[in-house]
Amino acid sequence: MMNGLIAWLEKYIVPVATKIGSVRWLVGLRDAFITTMPATMAGSIAVLLNALLRDIPGQYHMDGFVNAMQPIIGVNSQVWTATLAVYGLIFAFTWGYNLSLQYKVEPLAGGIVTLGAFLMGLTQSAAATLTLGRALSGSAAKILTDAGATVADKTVTTNAWGFFNFGAQFGSTGLFTAMILGGAAAAIYIWLMKKNVTIKMPDSVPPAVSKAFTAIIPAVVALYAIGIFTYAWTQVFDGQVFLDWVNKTIQEPLLHLSQGYGAVLLLTLLVQIFWFFGIHGTNVLGPVLDSIWLTAQLDNINRFSQHETVRYLWTRSSFDMYAWIGGAGSTVLLLIAIFIFSKRADERAVANLAIAPGIFQINEPVMFGMPIVLNAVYFIPFILAPVVMVTIAYWVIQFGWVSPIKVQTVWVMPPFINSFLATGFDWRAPLLQLFNAVVGFAIWAPFVIAANKINPNLED
Amino acid sequence: MIVINSALKQDEIKALLTNYAQDGVTFTFNKKAGIKQFFETSMPDKDAAAALAKQLIKGTPWGGAIFFSAVVE
Repeated sequence: MMNGLIAWLEKYIVPVATKIGSVRWLVGLRDAFITTMPATMAGSIAVLLNALLRDIPGQYHMDGFVNAMQPIIGVNSQVWTATLAVYGLIFAFTWGYNLSLQYKVEPLAGGIVTLGAFLMGLTQSAAATLTLGRALSGSAAKILTDAGATVADKTVTTNAWGFFNFGAQFGSTGLFTAMILGGAAAAIYIWLMKKNVTIKMPDSVPPAVSKAFTAIIPAVVALYAIGIFTYAWTQVFDGQVFLDWVNKTIQEPLLHLSQGYGAVLLLTLLVQIFWFFGIHGTNVLGPVLDSIWLTAQLDNINRFSQHETVRYLWTRSSFDMYAWIGGAGSTVLLLIAIFIFSKRADERAVANLAIAPGIFQINEPVMFGMPIVLNAVYFIPFILAPVVMVTIAYWVIQFGWVSPIKVQTVWVMPPFINSFLATGFDWRAPLLQLFNAVVGFAIWAPFVIAANKINPNLED
Repeated sequence: MIVINSALKQDEIKALLTNYAQDGVTFTFNKKAGIKQFFETSMPDKDAAAALAKQLIKGTPWGGAIFFSAVVE
């Protein structure tokens, strides 16, 4: 029966998963998020340190301590400003770079093209509005109007070109705009590069110069195409920039959808099913996880650092912390159950080898060593444990009993430490993890006991 | 001995490795046990051979979609 199931999976499911996992745009998107990690980790360390040195002491009115730490707080703020605060800008470059790599064309120019396209979708001037005590006289109003200001009754408004709305548009709010505009620009650039619509340089020209010249025509065409589009957009939509439309109609609704229990449950279930049947869950679903739930997480991190209320209760790391303790399926709980209940030498041998990496969220040894993959005995707990754990965590966080994720931590960080840091030092988060671990253990344990009644030689 | 753990695409993995012959490196199928396939290799450095096998599998159109590992045993 298992052979029939595998044959069915290979015929119908693997081709679909292969298609999804090998679509160059999705691979490029996944890699674009991954390559921003140096920036996100630097920014997250800065946010974490400032939480320790400024935010928490501030809650306890330790003003003297906070003042003394001001130089370090200032340095951390600089690091955050250059990383998470401008995450959209950084992503805009890595998106074009990685997509160009997928299509094997000059990647640096690809990154420059998508970065330029992103900037075209943003507000490029700052508006200053002054409200006066009384209306201006006609002559005074004319002087200001001739200088470019707008005068309406007691209000004077002026625009200064050359200022981007740093706080509102460079961070994670710019992500979907970067994906759409950058993607369109990259598509044009890559298409022209592949068609060899390029300037050919002699072989004697140094490679760096030759590559740059080769990319000139495709890059110019791509950037002009986006320039025409974004200019036309502002003319048609009364000055509204493309980013504002994308945020209102695409990014915010998608992120809002991601917060629903159904979406969280579906993702958890799909990832578990994929892993169990030997399909790489993260590779296939990574673009969805990162473009939606990671965007939500970055928004939370930036809001937390600015002392604003975080908006998203469930984010990318929430899955790792509450549903996938020790790796997908919460397999470290299986290992603990094996140490306590199992007398099988084969299982205990695997558990001994797998426990150390398991503490650091790596579960490849147990997935293949036990194995979990295609092991009918462990199918139910492998699916059920994360589903139950994610349900518990989701609703606990919804009810406000534990803080949502506000700080990025590396995914290999051990349980309890990861949730304590990621929630901005909420002591209830490790308690929630512990509760989930106990529940998950209670789900795994009966199946470990059942597995002890099975002759290992008959399992194949 | 190199062990490729994979629930899926076992026939394709076996064909991919046994048909590989570059720079004097070869893989010879030894046996299958459930999700494990065992291969002998002519490479003296077994860790490098496992890494090469992993790279070859990842280089296929379906390599990114399947969950597998290549280890030395």
